[in-house]
Amino acid sequence: MRSKKWFALVATALLALTVVLAACGGGDDDGGGGGGASSTGEGGKKGGKLTVLNVGDFEYADPGAAYYQFDYMVHYATQRPLYYYRPDQTTQPPTPDLAKGPWKISNGGKRITIELKRGVKFSPPVNREVKAADVKYALERAFTENVPNGYVSTYMGDITGAPEEPGKYQEIDGIKAVDDYTLQLDLDEPTAAVTAAAFVLPASAAVPKEYAEKFDKKSPSEYAENQIATGPYMLKNNSSGKVSGIGWIPERSITLVRNPNWDGKTDFRPAYADSIEIREGAEAVSGARKILRGKGMITGDLTVPGEVVKEASQRFKDQLELPPSGGFRYVSLNATKPPFDDINVRKATIAGLDRTALRQARGGPAIGDVATHFIPPEFPGFQEAGGKAGTGVDFLAKETGDPAVSAKYFKAAGMAGGKYEGPNKKITLVCDDEDPGKKVCLVAQEQLSKLGFEPDTRFVPHDQMLGKYCGVPKNEPNVCPNTGWFKDFYDPQTLLDATFNPAQVLPENNSNYSQIKDPKLEEAFTKAEQLTEVNARNRAFADIDKMVTALAPAAPYVWDNQANVRSKDVNGVINQFNSVWDLTFTSLK
Amino acid sequence: MTTSVTELLEEGGTQQLDTATAPSGEIAARSPLELFWRRLRDDKVALASLGVIVFLALVAICAPLVVELMGAPKPNVQNSKALDEFGSAAGPNAHNILGTDDVGRDVFSRVVYGARASLTVAILATAIAMAIGVVIGLSAGYYRGWADSLLSRGLDVILGFPVLLFAIGVGFACNTPQGCLGGALKPGISTVVFVIVIPTFPYFARIVRGQVLSLREREFVEAARSLGASDRRIMFREILPNLVAPLIVYGTLIIPANILFEASLSFLGVGIKEPNPSWGAMLSDAAPIFDTAWWFMFFPGLALVVTVLAFNLLGDGLQDALNPRAGR
Repeated sequence: MRSKKWFALVATALLALTVVLAACGGGDDDGGGGGGASSTGEGGKKGGKLTVLNVGDFEYADPGAAYYQFDYMVHYATQRPLYYYRPDQTTQPPTPDLAKGPWKISNGGKRITIELKRGVKFSPPVNREVKAADVKYALERAFTENVPNGYVSTYMGDITGAPEEPGKYQEIDGIKAVDDYTLQLDLDEPTAAVTAAAFVLPASAAVPKEYAEKFDKKSPSEYAENQIATGPYMLKNNSSGKVSGIGWIPERSITLVRNPNWDGKTDFRPAYADSIEIREGAEAVSGARKILRGKGMITGDLTVPGEVVKEASQRFKDQLELPPSGGFRYVSLNATKPPFDDINVRKATIAGLDRTALRQARGGPAIGDVATHFIPPEFPGFQEAGGKAGTGVDFLAKETGDPAVSAKYFKAAGMAGGKYEGPNKKITLVCDDEDPGKKVCLVAQEQLSKLGFEPDTRFVPHDQMLGKYCGVPKNEPNVCPNTGWFKDFYDPQTLLDATFNPAQVLPENNSNYSQIKDPKLEEAFTKAEQLTEVNARNRAFADIDKMVTALAPAAPYVWDNQANVRSKDVNGVINQFNSVWDLTFTSLK
Repeated sequence: MTTSVTELLEEGGTQQLDTATAPSGEIAARSPLELFWRRLRDDKVALASLGVIVFLALVAICAPLVVELMGAPKPNVQNSKALDEFGSAAGPNAHNILGTDDVGRDVFSRVVYGARASLTVAILATAIAMAIGVVIGLSAGYYRGWADSLLSRGLDVILGFPVLLFAIGVGFACNTPQGCLGGALKPGISTVVFVIVIPTFPYFARIVRGQVLSLREREFVEAARSLGASDRRIMFREILPNLVAPLIVYGTLIIPANILFEASLSFLGVGIKEPNPSWGAMLSDAAPIFDTAWWFMFFPGLALVVTVLAFNLLGDGLQDALNPRAGR
């Protein structure tokens, strides 16, 4: 018996030692070398399979509904909106894509006319040439309840006849296919400049009505599972057009193959890779490391955690890109229900948060400056809103938080003790279940506890966090710590309208998480949207940034740079507009 | 004095009987408890394991005091200044003797408080499973017939469950603020205990049933029945005391399995809720960054190994001490 026990002890010790040695063992390949990413994507090598490592799945696979960075990464490879941006482009106007040339604005800013290119075709099984009527249908379907688009009401809501609320499909009088290749839009308000600028978004990509309408009658639309492409790639499908289970296996993989009907002569995209495989379910740290040490891989929606940013910046410099995202990350407070329906409680909470700790959870100074308001650096309106110094509000003055200011606002809310003492201590948080979102959430949770709250936190996959909870007002928790917003195009309205305009609260795919109602703010948005001169728009939206900041809907904590990594043998090209790798310009060496 | 222990001792022959010679010269037999303790005392490994378990239990019970005496921060306190500029975990240092995790929380503190979660869940789940298993096993073994058939088939069905999948499914299903089963199961300890109890109690039931099938035919049961004792009295007053020894041994062996089960559930994200410390959750968070923050995985892993090993060795020792023939 004794020998048996000693054997067990020795065996256990040996086993533990083996595990430790196995985990410690293994050499690391040093990365680097081989040249950096080309910013313009010229001169890439054709062929090969590109692999994208992803944490999650589409938030919306339907290009008419897509409003998320990863969705864009795929849709801009398979769809051709009216306009798009070349990889190194950071200013307006965008590059014509499906459109033949720049848009024409007339009738005092109330009419937009766009001519389409000839020879652009739909992928199989539709196969025919794209016509203006297809773009008309694409825009109309985005206003329906079966296609939960999050931005058409913001940017295209002034089109004559556009529904005020999502509903059944109807033709919109203000969108006309004048002939096969000419699209004309009439607006009720002179907001043509911003409406036209919004045609870089994937809702303007053509959709064949005769093929799609049977899917669009379902609730929600099943077009996503049967989608057609116009871009250089398409989701792999069967002969009837079905992609679900073939080119898109939800939560597992997305496979892009070349669109046989794509004509490179009509496009500025080179489309080097023969195929692109997106593997979902990756873990952030191990996935990023695998890319750095592996072959043929790039990051998709995988946010590179701080540990790997550190490692990459020290050992794999050439394989790391940190483009500015043109956006901000913030901790949203739901102002529709207690305790954050009280502006003093919101201000107190924001003042009490250590925003450098929140930023550190994502990777520290390498990933950007601590935000003091919403419009980010180098973006139109940034300096006018106060620049890095901020808008002047005291509750955002100190990056590490200001307990005295926090206590002041709690007292103003009737809590003499300087912390939250009200009846609504229990607050709900819904967070990402993957790093770095999870780390940010843990930091936020702890800081909220210190302020007197009792956080009850749920960790869910990212697409659920937005698609089921934070982006659906009736399910929204008190706090969403993992929210972020990036430009829709290079205009400050795109940073502030969908996120803070009181008129832009949607039942689904909502991006105005705080849902603050303020008539003066709403009026300011209405006036600013109608301005056409660039500097006037920048000043007007800078003023809106100041107003929004003063209303304390959220705690902005970083104007972030988006970390992207690639394997050594990948000639990665970042698209500055989307701040991720451009699948149509990236190639294998 | 339990019949089974006495019989064991008697059947072991004179070798089992230990005697002491009193000053008057009379020979006095040692009691079964004395014999048990003597055997256990001779087993140095089992004693050491018992010592470790007692130490762990004290640490778990006195976790706040231990942390304070060691000058460590509380387990949920995040010290962002301890991290480097990239937010990477800090290694062992003067302020954090076992280092920090990747949000600046003290690993030592979390390992100590994690002992509470592990031991509480494992012991509580084992105790509840034992209670349920004993009742079912007693009933099945004593009454036999259709009751035995029904209960035994029910146990077989439960034993056929894919345990981990069941645990993950329940964990996710109850991961809402309202919980499930009318709020009886909320995310956290209640759900974890539930998913551990369900696949565990059938094992106790089967062991008890097997023992009862044999014990119910013994003379002392016949005697009790002939004196007019009710079935319930016979089961709980006559038969059950004879099951204490095997239940203790088996319970001691089940506890470490349940500790590992809880750790596995927390590792998979369906166990103890953040920010409450749990060894399994710590291992899960530490796994991706093991090569740059080895302490974050090593210390909770070491605590888990030591705890599980101690219980296993103690269980082994108890079995030897209570049933010395089994080792031959």
